[in-house]
Amino acid sequence: MDRTDRTDDFLKKFEGKLTNVIRKPKRLYFVVDDKDIREVAQYIFRDMACRLSTATATEVYDAIEVLYQFSHDPSGCYFCPRVRIKDKKNPTMNSITPVVKGANWIEREMFDFWGVTFKDHPRPEPLLSRNHPNKLDKPLRFGRVS
Amino acid sequence: MKLSENMNQVPVGPFHPLLEEAEYFNLTVEGETVVDIDLDIGWMHRGHEFISEQKTFTQSIFLVERICGICSTSHPLACVHAIEDVDNIEIPERAAYIRTLVGELERIHSHLLWLGLAGHFIGYDTLWMWAWKYREPVLQMFEIISGNRNHYGVMRVGGVSRDIDLDRVKELHKILDTVDAKIKMIAAAAPDDPVLKSRLVGVGVLTNQDAIDMCAVGPTSRASGVPWDVRKDEPTDAYGLVDFDVIVLQNGDVWDKLVVRLLETLESTKICRQCLDKLKTVKGPILNNVKEISAGEGIGRYEAPRGEVFHYVRTDGSNRAIRHKIRAPSYVNIPTYSASCKGIPIADALITLAAVDPCYCCTERALRVKGEDPDAIDFVKLSREKTERIRREIHGH
Amino acid sequence: MGWYNKRLAKSIWVFHVSASPCNNCDIEILDLLTPKYDVERLGIKLVGSVRHADVLLVSGVINQKVAPMVKKIYEQAPKPIFVMGVGTCPSGGCCFNDSYNIVENREDVIPFDIYVPGCPPKPEAMIAGAAKLMEVLNG
Repeated sequence: MDRTDRTDDFLKKFEGKLTNVIRKPKRLYFVVDDKDIREVAQYIFRDMACRLSTATATEVYDAIEVLYQFSHDPSGCYFCPRVRIKDKKNPTMNSITPVVKGANWIEREMFDFWGVTFKDHPRPEPLLSRNHPNKLDKPLRFGRVS
Repeated sequence: MKLSENMNQVPVGPFHPLLEEAEYFNLTVEGETVVDIDLDIGWMHRGHEFISEQKTFTQSIFLVERICGICSTSHPLACVHAIEDVDNIEIPERAAYIRTLVGELERIHSHLLWLGLAGHFIGYDTLWMWAWKYREPVLQMFEIISGNRNHYGVMRVGGVSRDIDLDRVKELHKILDTVDAKIKMIAAAAPDDPVLKSRLVGVGVLTNQDAIDMCAVGPTSRASGVPWDVRKDEPTDAYGLVDFDVIVLQNGDVWDKLVVRLLETLESTKICRQCLDKLKTVKGPILNNVKEISAGEGIGRYEAPRGEVFHYVRTDGSNRAIRHKIRAPSYVNIPTYSASCKGIPIADALITLAAVDPCYCCTERALRVKGEDPDAIDFVKLSREKTERIRREIHGH
Repeated sequence: MGWYNKRLAKSIWVFHVSASPCNNCDIEILDLLTPKYDVERLGIKLVGSVRHADVLLVSGVINQKVAPMVKKIYEQAPKPIFVMGVGTCPSGGCCFNDSYNIVENREDVIPFDIYVPGCPPKPEAMIAGAAKLMEVLNG
């Protein structure tokens, strides 16, 4: 079993496309452009044989950030491409479900919670609030003051 | 999917007579064969992430414990791993052994619970009563360690909240011996059981490729030949210090999932024994004093009985998280139904869903989809065809 | 109803409604049926259909999606029916009161007759709760 860390290879391969790279032991966070996300996801998932753990949408003051978390199981490393969506009114980005089948539910959940529309998603409908008895005027979590 | 003339939809849930959770499955069947499965979830959604983002770190550990009553060590453990990952906080060695002990005891009780329920689902209540009877001593051990049978409240950022003194360790050793003997008995008896074998072998196969594509985790994927286990890949706590094997099988059917779980239970007793031995000799503090958590991001995970629990915490330097993402193992394992359920008889489909408890009474509530004419779907004809087929299989002509 | 209630108290048949709990109370309810606690010796039996039930065991904070279903189940139950809230969630909301997805007043959805608090309540506590209910039914 090959348990080597492949972070350096990855950084070399996508040099120029990654910004805001944060490197910690066994963790790599970086920002990619919306148009590149599918290519990066395909490389991480297919060529490096990573597994998609989950994806996290976060509302920050000037954008919505979608962070995919890919786990490289043999080495225990995490590769986390982050997409920043500036348009908070109508957040839209490319879906990675055509490339990574396992992203189906989590992208539907982000649509449900934060209203992020994923282009080319095979089934763009809410996950948790489907058949919800109350009429929901906004996504479940977006814009709720804590 | 497009429905044709002879397809029926069988709604299962949201409240079904057999068991716990409210879930809704919509099985599309053609005759007896399942052709499609659709899930509607959200009946249990309580908004943990949202609540957790308003609580302090210690409070949110209390909260994530209440995500699931069966995994009530795994979630707090993954949560504290995530918070510790922000600043790379170390924990004392004794605390590491206590964490591992509690985690592995939970695996024993959860796998025995699943085994019992699996028996219950195929109408084999003897196995249910057996497995749950021998699960009781494990809960007793939890009561000795933490004072509660289910929610333990042991995990803290930087260590654990409770120590186990020497007398207790000896007591736990004794109970573990009895549990171990009983598990060995079940592990020897169950695989030879003709009832289990005839119902489970070759049923609901999840192929290796599907398991990888759908990102399945835990015993679900390990029964399909995917060898990853968080305990080995990223050994946190005491997992780097104890000796154990990762169980991997190749067939991917329900039977292999059962065997994986049984063998894992035996591995867990092995780990528990090593931890208890170490607790006798390793002395020292159990909690490092953590003053503050700096701004940053942390990923924490732990191999729960059902697979990898994943927590992501993003902090801004205050005493609470600004984003706390939780992903439970079933969230990625449940979509694999769409691969493993298609093309098998409806009676077997419900065992394949066994982790999320099916029921047979519901299958009678069939819903007509198309064809107003009652003769359009000839159940009598289908039934005769099946009888004929079985007769041929038995008599061989 | 005194005559009827006395007969009912001899053998309570329970139906289990999980209204977004954490599963722990449900597991403890099932634990009651297994050899260690074995409530069948008290005539308590878990049934598969709400039409057969005398007591509904409701666990969990009731969330907005499941609430109409819980209401429907209560309506379908033959009367008289008694509702037992198992765990801290039905009685006090546990730690979920800040959530956006739970109903504000659980008593509006389903009227509780008896609460067994605890997170989760020990099986002994649930048996004590059932015994109290029987006492009341016996007058």
